[in-house]
Amino acid sequence: MTPVPTARKIDTGKQRQARIVGGLLIALAVLVLFVFAPDAPGAATFRLSRPTDPWVVPNLVIPAGPFTYAIAALLAFLGVRQFLRGGVRWTSISLGFGLALLVAAFLVWATTGKAFSLTGMLQATVVRAVPIALGGLAGVLSERVAVVNIAIEGMLLAGAFAGALAGSVLGGVGGLFAAVAIGGLFGFILAALVVTYRMDQIIAGVVINLFVLGLTSYVSSQVFQEYRHLNNAPVFRSIKIPLLGDIPVIGPVFFNQNLFVYGAVIMVLVATYYLFYTRTGLRARAVGEHPKAADTLGINVYRVRYINVTLAGMVAGFGGAWFTLGSVGRFDEGMTGGRGYIGLAAMIFGRWHPVGALMAALVFGFADSLQQKLALLQTPIPSEFLAMAPYIATIIVVAGLIGRARAPAADGEAYVKE
Amino acid sequence: MSVSTTAMKRFGAGICAWFSAASIAMAFSACEVTDTGGIDDNSFNQTAWKGVLDAQEKHNISGRFLESQAETDYEANINSLLGGECDLIITVGFLLGDATKSAAETNPEQKFSIVDYSYDPAIANVLGQIYATDEAAFLAGYLAAGVSKTGVLGVFGGINIPTVTVFMDGFSRGAAYYNAQKGTNVMVLGWDPETKEGLFTNNFDSLDDGRAFAQNLYDEGADIVLPVAGPVGLGSAALADELGTDKLKIIGVDADLYFTDTEKQHVYLTSITKQMDATVLQVIESAMDGTFKGGNLLGSLANGGVDLAPFHDMDALVSDSLKQELADIRQGIIDGAIPVRP
Repeated sequence: MTPVPTARKIDTGKQRQARIVGGLLIALAVLVLFVFAPDAPGAATFRLSRPTDPWVVPNLVIPAGPFTYAIAALLAFLGVRQFLRGGVRWTSISLGFGLALLVAAFLVWATTGKAFSLTGMLQATVVRAVPIALGGLAGVLSERVAVVNIAIEGMLLAGAFAGALAGSVLGGVGGLFAAVAIGGLFGFILAALVVTYRMDQIIAGVVINLFVLGLTSYVSSQVFQEYRHLNNAPVFRSIKIPLLGDIPVIGPVFFNQNLFVYGAVIMVLVATYYLFYTRTGLRARAVGEHPKAADTLGINVYRVRYINVTLAGMVAGFGGAWFTLGSVGRFDEGMTGGRGYIGLAAMIFGRWHPVGALMAALVFGFADSLQQKLALLQTPIPSEFLAMAPYIATIIVVAGLIGRARAPAADGEAYVKE
Repeated sequence: MSVSTTAMKRFGAGICAWFSAASIAMAFSACEVTDTGGIDDNSFNQTAWKGVLDAQEKHNISGRFLESQAETDYEANINSLLGGECDLIITVGFLLGDATKSAAETNPEQKFSIVDYSYDPAIANVLGQIYATDEAAFLAGYLAAGVSKTGVLGVFGGINIPTVTVFMDGFSRGAAYYNAQKGTNVMVLGWDPETKEGLFTNNFDSLDDGRAFAQNLYDEGADIVLPVAGPVGLGSAALADELGTDKLKIIGVDADLYFTDTEKQHVYLTSITKQMDATVLQVIESAMDGTFKGGNLLGSLANGGVDLAPFHDMDALVSDSLKQELADIRQGIIDGAIPVRP
């Protein structure tokens, strides 16, 4: 690969970005060296298996001092390399790698002289990521056809409610179908409001959220209080995949989870295939980028939007069922707790791509479970700050400081056929 | 303790109100204004109303209640009870604090009492009912330390505010007291009474947080978890139900959850209860015999304002000697021999 001088000059903007990242990595190395290294005697213990596991793995014991110095050295190497010969391709990779190293150094520093269950934390990461990933996927599906979906929160809540009610009466599978159907219904309502009636998309979404919150709160306080058996749904238990589920660490984290975890992964893969490898997916994306051009080519813009937004609602309904059928088996007022909005953040962080949204959801889930562990470890840093970290990262991504997150061109605009 | 009355009350509240209206000519009248939760909320409104019903049974007074449907009803409901027909107006809940205060100040002749609120400075005609929850939580901590097989207990709260952390303080100190007495090393994860830092969901809504936090504590070895987060704790109960109670037990708060969370009642080792009915009854009695005075009434182990619920299904897990020790400690706390707060 011989660098072409002229091409490099044209790319000065990107090169400056690479330099900034390089400088940042060097700063991180200094931070690790001076903040985490000084009080580093002792070792951090990470428990990898429970006593009941088939193959018990010894604890992972990491001597804090040497580990921290190694991390600092690696960060410095990455930073210098990036600074000197900042390849554009490498910028985001080395930044991601650098941040992962930082988190590792931080974890070892926080755990020095103590112990916690690493497997438990990773398992919680996956579990907590599920509703966020499904919310994010619902966002991707509708925003790819240029319908901003603020209503994900309401669709999750409606799915949770329908799952609990129908699950109590018909059993888990019945509850699941009801949740998906109700989610789809609200997706259809959103589509009707914004596509046919050209209502402002943000307002339509907020209206749906408030409507669902009010309705479900009313029914749960008036009906579920009195008829308790209507709010006592079964919970889908974990399904252990044979052999794979017995692998230490990886087994419990990925292959011993409930239906919703597997479902989320499958849906993300199917959605990726649909959007990027099928003709209908290409048409859907065309509608999101340039509806007029798509219309000119004979694509029915309205129909495509209706279908995709309804699909998004069904995905969100499935994600909502996780709260009741996949977790606690009952519904309570406002139990989704804003996870739909975090799903939207995951969609943006994941750059409007299903796999990206899943990865972003895992990052959010990781921060969430890490924060819980740190609260137990009694670190000097308040755990609330850690809880904020992924959202700060989202702001950075949205602001375009690292890479570029570009929404579909026609996102948020109603299409008027002439 | 009060199974039949609790059950009766849910269906019988209306009948009782009617019954008391029929015998309105009697001397003393106690009126209650509920929070938006309503009279049959399985929680504090209902428990406070039970105090009125108990007084009705015991002293033959008349009682009536007004339900607040929204926060705007507080003042209107209180005002409609003014005018001399009620000897005592009982308002239920922290949120009625301001409405009660303004009504009490404009009507200095009317006696008021408010549940879960105290005024500083005190108002001459309002008696605030507050609760020394840490005394009962201390007993729960001692009990849990004695029952735990792993020697690790877990606790988490909703939000880091005094009404929540008072449970966590008492629980931690109770377990520490067990260690001091027995020379054991039972750990309490999730709260440090010295630094006031610990594990919080930062909400009272997300039930799946209750499950995730209990799982977190279970992963670190805890086999008994105390969630102090209102309905979020029901998520913890769901996990205990799934894992099995031999692996994870839950301690309830506020009401005896064995009766209010009947679907998952088998997971509760005990509950730390605030007996609003006991303090309400006490206030009514003081208003009847003329000893009523503005200020605060502290519900404690001594006057039955806070208590530890029975062990119900898990009674067999608590040894007789542990039960005896708990009875001794209860007496010690009441006498002041055992300090609950440092």
